[in-house]
Amino acid sequence: MSSPAENAPGCPFGHGAEAPAGHHGYEPFQMKDPFPAYAEMRAEQPLMFDERINYYVATRYDDIKAVFDDWETFSSENAQAPVRERGEAAKKIMLDGGFTAYSGLSARVPPEHTRMRAIVQKAFTPRRYKALEPAIRENVVTRLETMLARPGRDGDMVRDLAYDIPTITILTLIGADTSKIDTYKRWSDSRAAMTWGNLSDEEQVPHAHNLVEYWQECLHLVGAAKESGGDNLTADLVQAQAEGAAISDHEIASVLYSLLFAGHETTTTLISNCVRVLLAHPAQWGQVVADPKKIPAAIDEILRYSGSIVGWRRKALRDTTVGGVDIPQGAGLLLLMGSANRDEARFEDGEAFDISRPNAREHLSFGFGIHYCLGNMLAKLQAKIALEEIVRLAPTLQLVAPESITFRENLSFRVPETVPVTWES
Amino acid sequence: MPTVHFTDTAGTVRDIEGNVGDSVMETAVRNGVPGIVAECGGSLSCATCHVFVRDDDFAALPPMEDMEDEMLYGTAVDREDNSRLSCQLRLHEGQELHVTTPETQV
Ligand code: HEM
Ligand code: FES
Repeated sequence: MSSPAENAPGCPFGHGAEAPAGHHGYEPFQMKDPFPAYAEMRAEQPLMFDERINYYVATRYDDIKAVFDDWETFSSENAQAPVRERGEAAKKIMLDGGFTAYSGLSARVPPEHTRMRAIVQKAFTPRRYKALEPAIRENVVTRLETMLARPGRDGDMVRDLAYDIPTITILTLIGADTSKIDTYKRWSDSRAAMTWGNLSDEEQVPHAHNLVEYWQECLHLVGAAKESGGDNLTADLVQAQAEGAAISDHEIASVLYSLLFAGHETTTTLISNCVRVLLAHPAQWGQVVADPKKIPAAIDEILRYSGSIVGWRRKALRDTTVGGVDIPQGAGLLLLMGSANRDEARFEDGEAFDISRPNAREHLSFGFGIHYCLGNMLAKLQAKIALEEIVRLAPTLQLVAPESITFRENLSFRVPETVPVTWES
Repeated sequence: MPTVHFTDTAGTVRDIEGNVGDSVMETAVRNGVPGIVAECGGSLSCATCHVFVRDDDFAALPPMEDMEDEMLYGTAVDREDNSRLSCQLRLHEGQELHVTTPETQV
């Protein structure tokens, strides 16, 4: 680790990259409103070395997309590395608990990544999840009706809808126990906190226990599929392996470890944001209520304006430059897609939310290139079903005290913790 | 040089020279051809690079892999017999390819 003093002007970290004392207002783990700091960095220092986290922080659209695109220079191997080093106690718990997971796909690199992604992709096809559409819709309707029946007319779109929906879907696809939503959410929260959080050694301890349990369950799911098969993604991967596909048991379990997190965490946020952002723009909410065909475009704009993941990491494998700044071999980069998505150079009036924006879909919220989000279509499908049913069943929905909504502290995931709503009776 | 003739739903034709080895999707994106979105940049994960290939050209294309076939079930406009994902079509020397882009990709 380099200390701030070493990174003073004339530092080995690339000319012009050293951050000023105020870091342009950027606070790596604060998610409530990072956008003014993003804008200042884009304007004044589009590539900034942040010595507090030891990453080069990129904020411009073209730079970020170019880094994603050039996987030979910029490896994703650090994408799942703990931002804060694991403490001794957590390390011991994980070692003793047989925790050997790292990444399913996102932090693997070619040729291993190419080999595994091809196998996983075959088991994760549009036909497979489109078949779930009626069940997803039914789950949405049941939950909305329960919420709307509450006499106090008070709801929380996170708790009452967004928390369950994608979680049931992914558990179903994987063949895991759908009655264990709370358990999987607890494990996922721990994964997000342990990898992208800012935890002290002591705070890591309970999360370390959760990760051990989580990984053991992934191993167990592979074992169960080997023994008794099933009509689900795990059984398909086991079957593919039996038919000669080059994927080990440990790799299948790692893929489950990945999907049982990535498959709901960010979609819960997307569904929450659909309601939160649209209701904060009542005229556009009105347009969607009046014409639900506008929903897919609205979802793309929500992903652009308020993505579930605002920053993702890469590592430079050789000396290179990004946006004219020298980056030394081995350096970590934090790509702030949340900033790229508002870059005026790509999105006219980028700070404005506008569901009729013609190029919203050029957002980088799902990454880009060889690691492009495997679940992007499933995520959008679920958000679409949720919004269709929300505007149909609850067109008078309104936010309650939106300024009180808190966002979890994290380097990458921007998660609203509640979305309080009310409606007319 | 290979040439791709893109026709959009309004009937406008754009003739674009491509590079040998590039995909039809890359050729479209680089030249700003509307109607090809290619959100995933060619990683066979978005199905927003869907094209309909003119029948005689279609027959001359190498057959599609299973994964392309699967992803074609995820297109915004339903697939037809002459559907392909343009990120999977690599251009070869002297090729003349005629494709039509669908009304929408999302
Ligand atoms: C709104 C919802 C979602 C968002 C914002 C999101 C975002 C992302 C991002 C930013 C990446 C990294 C891309 C890169 O490095 O270029 C990614 C990768 C990935 N996502 Fe998602 N995701 C979402 C939903 C899902 C769902 C529903 C699934 C699965 C069911 C999923 C599975 C994956 C997997 C497996 C990868 C790694 C792919 C690879 O490295 O080859 N994601 N996602
Ligand atoms: S560009 Fe995404 S599938 Fe072709």
